[in-house]
Amino acid sequence: MAQPPPVGPLPRLEPTRPTRFVLSNGLEVLAVRREVAPLVAVNVMFRVGSDADGPELVGLGSSTADLLDEGAGARDPLQMAEDLEQLGADLWLGCGRDGSQLSLQVPRKGFEAGLAMAADVLLRPRLGADDWARVRHDRLTGLAQRRDQAEAVASLVSDRVLYGDAHPYGRSSEGFERTVARIEIDDIRRFHATHYRPNNAALVVAGDFDEAELQGQLEAALGAWAPGPTTAPAPSPPFPARPRLVLVDRPAAPQSIVRILSPGTDRLSPDRPALSMLNAVLGGSFTSRLNFNLREQKGYTYGAGSSFSFLRRPGGFAARAAVFTEVTAAAVTEFLVELRAVRERPFTDDERTKARAMLLDRVAEGLATSGGISATFAELSLYGLPLDEPERFIAALERVTAADLLALARKYIDPEGACIVIVGDRAAIEPGLRALGLPAPELRDADGERLSS
Amino acid sequence: MKIEFETFALANGLTVILHVDRGSPLVAVNLWYHVGSKDEAPGRTGFAHLFEHLMFMGSKHAPYPSFDAIMESWGGHNNGTTSNDRTNYYEIGPRNLLETFLWLEADRLATLAEVITEEELEKQRKVVLNERRQSYENRPYGRTELRVPEIMYPPTHPYHWPTIGSHADLEAASVADVRQFFERFYRPSNASLTIAGDFEPAAARALVEKYFGWQAKREAPRLPAPAAPVLAEDRDETLSDRVQLPRLRLCWHAPALFAPGDAELDLAAHVLGGGKSSRLYRALVFDQRIAQDVFAFQSSQRLGSLFHVGSTAKPDRALADVGRAVEEQLERLAHDGPSAAEVDRARNTHLADFYKSLDHLQTRADLLNHYQYLLGDPAGVERDVARYEAATPASVRDAFAAVLAQRRLVIRTIPEAGGETAAGEAAPGEAGGEHGAEATT
Repeated sequence: MAQPPPVGPLPRLEPTRPTRFVLSNGLEVLAVRREVAPLVAVNVMFRVGSDADGPELVGLGSSTADLLDEGAGARDPLQMAEDLEQLGADLWLGCGRDGSQLSLQVPRKGFEAGLAMAADVLLRPRLGADDWARVRHDRLTGLAQRRDQAEAVASLVSDRVLYGDAHPYGRSSEGFERTVARIEIDDIRRFHATHYRPNNAALVVAGDFDEAELQGQLEAALGAWAPGPTTAPAPSPPFPARPRLVLVDRPAAPQSIVRILSPGTDRLSPDRPALSMLNAVLGGSFTSRLNFNLREQKGYTYGAGSSFSFLRRPGGFAARAAVFTEVTAAAVTEFLVELRAVRERPFTDDERTKARAMLLDRVAEGLATSGGISATFAELSLYGLPLDEPERFIAALERVTAADLLALARKYIDPEGACIVIVGDRAAIEPGLRALGLPAPELRDADGERLSS
Repeated sequence: MKIEFETFALANGLTVILHVDRGSPLVAVNLWYHVGSKDEAPGRTGFAHLFEHLMFMGSKHAPYPSFDAIMESWGGHNNGTTSNDRTNYYEIGPRNLLETFLWLEADRLATLAEVITEEELEKQRKVVLNERRQSYENRPYGRTELRVPEIMYPPTHPYHWPTIGSHADLEAASVADVRQFFERFYRPSNASLTIAGDFEPAAARALVEKYFGWQAKREAPRLPAPAAPVLAEDRDETLSDRVQLPRLRLCWHAPALFAPGDAELDLAAHVLGGGKSSRLYRALVFDQRIAQDVFAFQSSQRLGSLFHVGSTAKPDRALADVGRAVEEQLERLAHDGPSAAEVDRARNTHLADFYKSLDHLQTRADLLNHYQYLLGDPAGVERDVARYEAATPASVRDAFAAVLAQRRLVIRTIPEAGGETAAGEAAPGEAGGEHGAEATT
């Protein structure tokens, strides 16, 4: 008992291979049958996200997603909610950077009825002016409440600073009060009519459906949906010059939210498998260097980590933690120590083994539930990736060398050029930050607007 | 729906539950210790949760930081959570890690008290104090969450204090406290172990015998049950927080988890505030447009539950108007009861959510231990579902009317800047427990 038991070889990941077919209107369908729970999960992923909002109507895509289920077909908004609950169905719509999504989780016996309601939402939404007036007011209030949440403020400000206001990713997906106030019902109707088209989407279904019936059920529910023209996204603006230090004052806050930001890469980049390994070691696990240093050794935080955002356009790298106000400057120092270290010392064989095993486990766990399976394949379809991408990703990890990781760290991890964003008590933390030799901070408010210092 | 399992007990009293699912090459280990913040001594609040953190600080044969390092180096990951009633620990990873998981869990159960140091305690004390700031003090309406149970339960009741503990008590905890707590509550007879996923039951059984079977049998501690808490009089408080909008919350005592009426109150909560078709949403958000959100929930716990209802006022709307509109809906439901269609919707939604949660291997493992602890038998799914199936409009009305007939707490959270500062405001460091609060490592 004194020695750790032997660990056998990692299991092979058995491929999950969806059945694929295309409906008469061009909608691609991927289906994975499994029987663990008597439920079916459906994801319809549209290749349009807040990326398409434009600078004037920031929040348009998410407002559209929000309004779509407020009445559709023969049902008014409350009838819609009642009938979904009667089925035990969970219908949800959302809009991210690159994609918009309808997600339906429904008990097996209510699958056809739930599908018919989802079809109403996509094909025959009411999009009523009165309903938009009501929902817009709710959304505007929610945007005001966002200022209460330090983490949400940090995310909003980080995006504005890293990507800049000219970049679609620099704008909040939920929008801002001044832009959502400007969105009219006709804007939403136009967004829906332009982008919610079967040839601009893929439908993934996972769970306990009837294999023999599925194609007929989907054709019956969605066959009348007409294709439309699609447009390619505009080219990506470059990352703007970054300030070294940005501060959002939150007087008397007991913690500082710290983010350290630099540019990363896109979802299709050949660097992605190796960067995932790099991040697993740097800040993507409990035993990562960042968490071990800032939480376990220093006790500055409940948790420190990092991540790359792999999106259609190049996304960012962020290291992050919420730390005691009193140790804010010391925490920034430790972040920079770790970011410098990955550029200097090659990763050990043990670190690479750990990163590979962890990433294999994450992929396997992602494919272990119906919701996870449908989300995984919906994401692959969004970026036009092949269905065997999970296995390709695992295989690519095997080929990554220590030299590859060091080269990528030097390419992407940029401690000297990174932007440090902090949401915290300015009076308490600014002197310490200045003592580190950091320049005077660029000050922003909780909406990310620049203030004169 | 059923969850297939086999169960057996070791000679030292450890209950073991095996659930095979070969759908993915994964294995989950889930270990419940029947100790939570309800078992803490006065002056040592937050200790069960702080102790949970210390369980990751190394054991005799896996010194710090081996626990996480060994498991993560092979693709596993883990965590633990503490509630008022129990502490759980879980691991999940590729199936070849099963023996590693069991070895690590068994070693810390056998040896933790021998190796814990003041330095390790000090490190985790800081982490937990950060967790308190992150989860409550720097979060909107977090002060209210801490204050509610402090009012609802008298100081002699173990739900009076928060799972996360107070600053002063966390600072006072010593290594001697750690050893004493460990000796008292961390015993095979006070735990149940579930293994779920892709494994051979016979081999798993042999491994459990090998790593846990040699550990000594000691009787499970038995604590006297506290007297049922009663609010002697209606309470009314206002406190301020760093929020944009004022929020109202009402709170009553309610039947314990699995007691008669508990399932009905879950359904009543859904009828009141469970979604867009709920009565409060329809009246306050959709029709009158005086509220930004509404909520209602039964927080079910072993020694007694709390029933909560609340709403956040729209900008420029008076909280008093929101309060009147809420009262009207409460009285109507208590008087007339829900319709059959409302009960159907609430039940269907509840059961669909329940089945959805069972798709996760780790949730299934946790649920088997939950039933083992609460019902003395892992086979709880049918019994749990049956109580929702049996509920009727009359039984929901009766359970809800009984709750509403009691004394209650009305607590308002108002914006700090510009709002009137009320008497009875809680200092953040001195607050009470959260509803079913779970703190994770």
